[in-house]
Amino acid sequence: MITTSSKLFYGLGAVSVTAAIVWTIANDGGALGAVALVFIGIASIFLGAIASYVRDGHVLSTDTAQHDSAPAAQRGPGRSWFPLGTALSLGMVVVGLVTSPGIFKVGIALLLAMLGEWLIQNWSDRASADAGYNERVRGWVVHPLEIPIGGALLLGAIVLSFSRIFLALSAEAGPIVFAILGALVLFFGSVLSIRRGVSRGVVGALCGIVLVALSGVGIATALSGERQELTVASAEDHYAVHPCGEEAEEYDGSAGRAVSAKSSVAATVTLKDGVLYAEMDGFSGPLSSITLQRSLNADILFQNEDAGMHRMIVTYGKTVEDLGGGVKKETVLQTCTAMIGQGGAQQIVVRIPKPSFASDVPYTITASGIEGASIEVMVP
Amino acid sequence: MKKMMNQLGESMKTARRWQNASKAAIAVSALSFLASCAKDAPQDTWQPAGPNAERIDNLQRPVFYVAGIVGVIVFAAVAWVIFRYRDRGQAIPEQTHGKPALEIVLTVIPVLILLGVAIPTAGTIFKLAKTSDTEMTINVTGQQWWWEYDYPAAGSNAEQYGITAPIVTSGQLVIPENTKVLLRVTSRDVIHSYWIPKLNGKKDSVPGRVHLLRMEGSKPGIYAGQCTEFCGLSHAYMRMEAVVLSRADYDKWVANQLEPYKAPEAGTEAAAGEALFIQQCSRCHQVNGLANPDGSLIISAPDQYLVSGAAPNLTNLMTRNTFAGASWDLLTPECRDNVWNASSAYFGERYLDGVSADCLNQKDLREWLRNAPAKKPMYADPTKLTTTGGKYRGMPALGLTEDQINTIIAYLLERK
Repeated sequence: MITTSSKLFYGLGAVSVTAAIVWTIANDGGALGAVALVFIGIASIFLGAIASYVRDGHVLSTDTAQHDSAPAAQRGPGRSWFPLGTALSLGMVVVGLVTSPGIFKVGIALLLAMLGEWLIQNWSDRASADAGYNERVRGWVVHPLEIPIGGALLLGAIVLSFSRIFLALSAEAGPIVFAILGALVLFFGSVLSIRRGVSRGVVGALCGIVLVALSGVGIATALSGERQELTVASAEDHYAVHPCGEEAEEYDGSAGRAVSAKSSVAATVTLKDGVLYAEMDGFSGPLSSITLQRSLNADILFQNEDAGMHRMIVTYGKTVEDLGGGVKKETVLQTCTAMIGQGGAQQIVVRIPKPSFASDVPYTITASGIEGASIEVMVP
Repeated sequence: MKKMMNQLGESMKTARRWQNASKAAIAVSALSFLASCAKDAPQDTWQPAGPNAERIDNLQRPVFYVAGIVGVIVFAAVAWVIFRYRDRGQAIPEQTHGKPALEIVLTVIPVLILLGVAIPTAGTIFKLAKTSDTEMTINVTGQQWWWEYDYPAAGSNAEQYGITAPIVTSGQLVIPENTKVLLRVTSRDVIHSYWIPKLNGKKDSVPGRVHLLRMEGSKPGIYAGQCTEFCGLSHAYMRMEAVVLSRADYDKWVANQLEPYKAPEAGTEAAAGEALFIQQCSRCHQVNGLANPDGSLIISAPDQYLVSGAAPNLTNLMTRNTFAGASWDLLTPECRDNVWNASSAYFGERYLDGVSADCLNQKDLREWLRNAPAKKPMYADPTKLTTTGGKYRGMPALGLTEDQINTIIAYLLERK
């Protein structure tokens, strides 16, 4: 009996055999293609024979009791994306092998995940004759992993995209762009929330579009690179403490942005009209001497109200290293802020391990380029 | 008849159960009440001894009473409902939903109560945060597990109180009476919290931040406190005391703290103790003015040995009444009582006497010097310092002999 599906396989078999003959004639007896086509033909005819034998799995029209209970009458398992995912991740592994270890590692991880998912899917599809129950069984096993990992990956993609966009935008444009985006999100969110009958599909589609757009812009901005000042700052090791005498383009040029805390500091030091003075909570008025605790990370905020670029320098003694042969090397202990323009501020952390009476020379805070301006630092 | 007897028996059983439950409830209540009646409670928040603590007390008492009354009403109502409407097999009563008038009343009453609490609370917060009236400023630095106090030689400290050079001490905060002192609270390692309950509320000491706390004592005396932020192994041993002195006595205390170092007489046990101190203790503990035989000052280097980078300055140890983070008294119990229980008129004089050989608490100090980590738990096992780069948290066991302890004590007794 030639059934519907067996016709397809018989036809495919016949075409394959014909093609094998044509291939042989056309290629002067070339064997490889002919063998392949003959095997395809044989396999197709074999599958056609099986389909004929089982009558396409159909139930006899007279056997009405089988119409509902026969396996062929049950809803088959749904489409699975995992074979495709496995193939793609395998491709990624191969590409990673010849290009980048990172891609290779991601490919391996994806491959393992896809194989695992495929395995569990396959197992759950055979758990019972009830497809709905099988789907629930699969969920019990994989959802505790799928949902948190998927959520974390989604969140990571969003954060990464945002960060790339921020790094590419200028410092001035960033807040404006994201204020507008935030307002748009709020607006559309409000509109959706007050409209009745908005389907989950519409909301899901909107979120998907936004996510794709965000990821796309994130990838585009990541490829275009960080803004210039960040590239320079990175080359200068950002705002790491630099030697007090050296000047660096970004570190000294844009130091005002480095202030992270302006309250609860140990002292605020201000340079104004060529005079350096300190203010400390608990003391009224400007101070010409301050006391800092020993071995304490004390935050000192420097404000430049003077014209020109200045840096604050804290000098707290010196170390003497015996190099042997009567040669000694003295190193002055100093820490300093970057060069600050008028109106700028920067905070540094000062940790002084020795009391001031251990030094012959008083510990001081001075400002570069200002002669005579000094604050005494006492360390008990 | 039998049925009636059974019912009567059940009723008597129920009555006995209620009787027992009532007795238990009364006993628990009585015990709870009696537990609040401590006789010797130096950290009692209900006994303020300064204007700042009084402000808190003036706020917390009415709030406590109102909350207490509300609590009693709520508990009584719940108990009545539970008893009155307990399941006795009766039919479920008619169910209703929503009583707007009742709901409004039950919303408005708590709002009014909370408003009544919030207004004076806000006022108290602002008063306790005021710093413009500061008369004296002291740095308070927490570290595992002791408090350091240093008195900057600047501003009114120098001009009005004669603090012409920084003073460093630990364990006991010494302040003049009726003086608005501002503490600049910070930390060298982890978060601690400073609290002298009779003088003010708590203030966290956070590394990298300076938090301000007003402190004022109305009459001379010693006021106890305790670190109130869990800060590691010996958090329970991180105590502190605030000593309030009359202005005249405070001036004497300042003058004494500023006196130059006096070396022990040559050939005495104290002189031997000084040599041993230089050898064993001065790596971490600073004694201002202590010098090598060549005259060069000995500067301790606690930053090389301790995670916090600091150890108590022992320059005037015996002017304090406590040691090891104020966990133990330097005075014997009799001498301690003599100071703690002195009237305001005599307190300053007795406190300024410091610790004499007769009054020294030899037992605890010797135990400490023999093996400090055994007395106060500290991460001071030299074999377990890999995570701290070889640095200790607290004082290690120095392996001193009894003779060495004798000489160290003889030297320390002169530090006042």
